[in-house]
Amino acid sequence: MEAVPVVSFDNVDKIFNRGGADETVALKSINLDIRPSEFISIIGPSGCGKSTLLRLVGDLIAPSAGTVTVNGKEAHQARLDHDYGMVFQQPVLFDWRTIQRNVELPLEVYGFDKAERQQRARELLQMVELGGFENHRPWQLSGGMQQRVSIARALATAPKLLLMDEPFGALDEMTRERMNMELHAIWRQTDTTVIFVTHSISEAVFLSNRVIVMSARPGRIMQIVDIDLPIPRGEHTRQDPALFEAERAVREWLRKAEAFSA
Amino acid sequence: MSHTRTYLPAVVLFVAAIVVWELFVQLFDIQQFLLPAPSVIGRAFADNFGRLVSIGWFTTKEALGGLLIGCTAGIGVALITARWTIASETMMPFAIAANSVPILAFAPIVNNWFGVDNPLSKMVIVAVIVFFPMMINTVRGLTLVDANALEMMRSFATSDFRIVWHLRIPNAMPYIFNAFKVVVPLSMIGAVVSEYFGGNRSALGIFITQEAAQFRFANAWAGIIIACIVGITLYAVVLVAERLIIPWHSSVRKQTT
Ligand SMILES: Nc1ncnc2c1ncn2[C@@H]1O[C@H](COP(=O)(O)OP(=O)(O)OP(=O)(O)O)[C@@H](O)[C@H]1O
Ligand SMILES: [Mg+2]
Repeated sequence: MEAVPVVSFDNVDKIFNRGGADETVALKSINLDIRPSEFISIIGPSGCGKSTLLRLVGDLIAPSAGTVTVNGKEAHQARLDHDYGMVFQQPVLFDWRTIQRNVELPLEVYGFDKAERQQRARELLQMVELGGFENHRPWQLSGGMQQRVSIARALATAPKLLLMDEPFGALDEMTRERMNMELHAIWRQTDTTVIFVTHSISEAVFLSNRVIVMSARPGRIMQIVDIDLPIPRGEHTRQDPALFEAERAVREWLRKAEAFSA
Repeated sequence: MSHTRTYLPAVVLFVAAIVVWELFVQLFDIQQFLLPAPSVIGRAFADNFGRLVSIGWFTTKEALGGLLIGCTAGIGVALITARWTIASETMMPFAIAANSVPILAFAPIVNNWFGVDNPLSKMVIVAVIVFFPMMINTVRGLTLVDANALEMMRSFATSDFRIVWHLRIPNAMPYIFNAFKVVVPLSMIGAVVSEYFGGNRSALGIFITQEAAQFRFANAWAGIIIACIVGITLYAVVLVAERLIIPWHSSVRKQTT
């Protein structure tokens, strides 16, 4: 018997400004089941609806047709139950809070006690290599550092479902690889399900069980590529011929998706 | 060090202006009722110092009382209506229209309502003057919130109260301070000018009109200077408070060079 999917899209459409002159069909006929503890990446041309898809899972917007189910309930209920943590495409940090207190924000909102949330925020800042920046303000950090703060914030509540919208887009190659390893370790140690939006083929393949390739206008799922590389992944994975094979497959589908969109 | 360098030009300009004024009056033999020389005003200031301080304080209390009532009401109404976006959006055009009404024109009428000698009549005028800019700015600050930040708070599935507390109010603070910078000078103008239409003998506006009526122009100018000193002091208090309360905002951030 199949386990209950963590996230399930059933014939979902998302149309912005329906009936208006600027009507946009962002997503069309999306059907997708995401299994427990899966790491799934979404890749596709800009504007194909990746962020929209994540926002539907998070119940930040409602589908125009079809249903989105999270942990067997309506996405709306899952949000109320604090079932997920989200890393947004922009860091969204509050200037009136220090870095430490930005990370503490969700814990504060959820009512954790002070000692616990300070402890947790410090640990997470260490993990994203920002130890020593606790008392800085957001504007004193670079874009990549700000994005790492927002990752720490999303991890603060130890969510069982992690939605990440291009979290490492603003990082240099080396930091990105280290962050990938950290994320991979977190994912293995906690049985978190991760939905990961990225523009990087190598990052998607390195981290994922499956890679979803999307096409634009309207946003559709073009292909789902299974990545059968052994887990845990690490330096050895980067030498694995199967990795290159998988990257090649994703690249090919992405090319088709681009052609399809144009 | 850097402070001296920042303020030096302003101080030099101020002193130069006083010197030019003095020379101008002396050289062209300007009549007292047109423009007394700074030295004459200075003497009048010193001679009447005790009296000026006491009437200045009387009027300052009116201005502060009006500020307290008007700002509390302005911020309060903004907080209540921002909770219901529709309510504040319907109200805003009216508030902006009301804001352009010359409220000082009502001073004689308000003097009648509350009694011309009652400081409350001046406080009410000041309160009404400061209410609208304060309310309009606070509503803006509470509603012009980054859509991404709202979306993030939504992802936390938190209460409206927490969204107001953690996001809307901090976002409104710079707007509120900007409103204070506008309404603090207005409050002093409102208090002094509404006293021109009659009031307690120990009030600054009454002092200025009476001294001018009796051709003691240097005294009248000394009264104006007291009003200026109070206005500038209150403004400085706002600047210091801004630095202390919202040190994170770009307008007051410490430059780390
Ligand atoms: N709030 C909105 N109102 C109207 N249209 C929107 C809105 N959000 C997204 N869209 C449209 O939906 C489409 C998909 O947008 P989305 O942000 O999901 O793209 P994306 O795949 O995340 O792109 P990128 O890789 O550039 O981040 C775009 O055409 C966009 O213009
Ligand atoms: Mg996006």
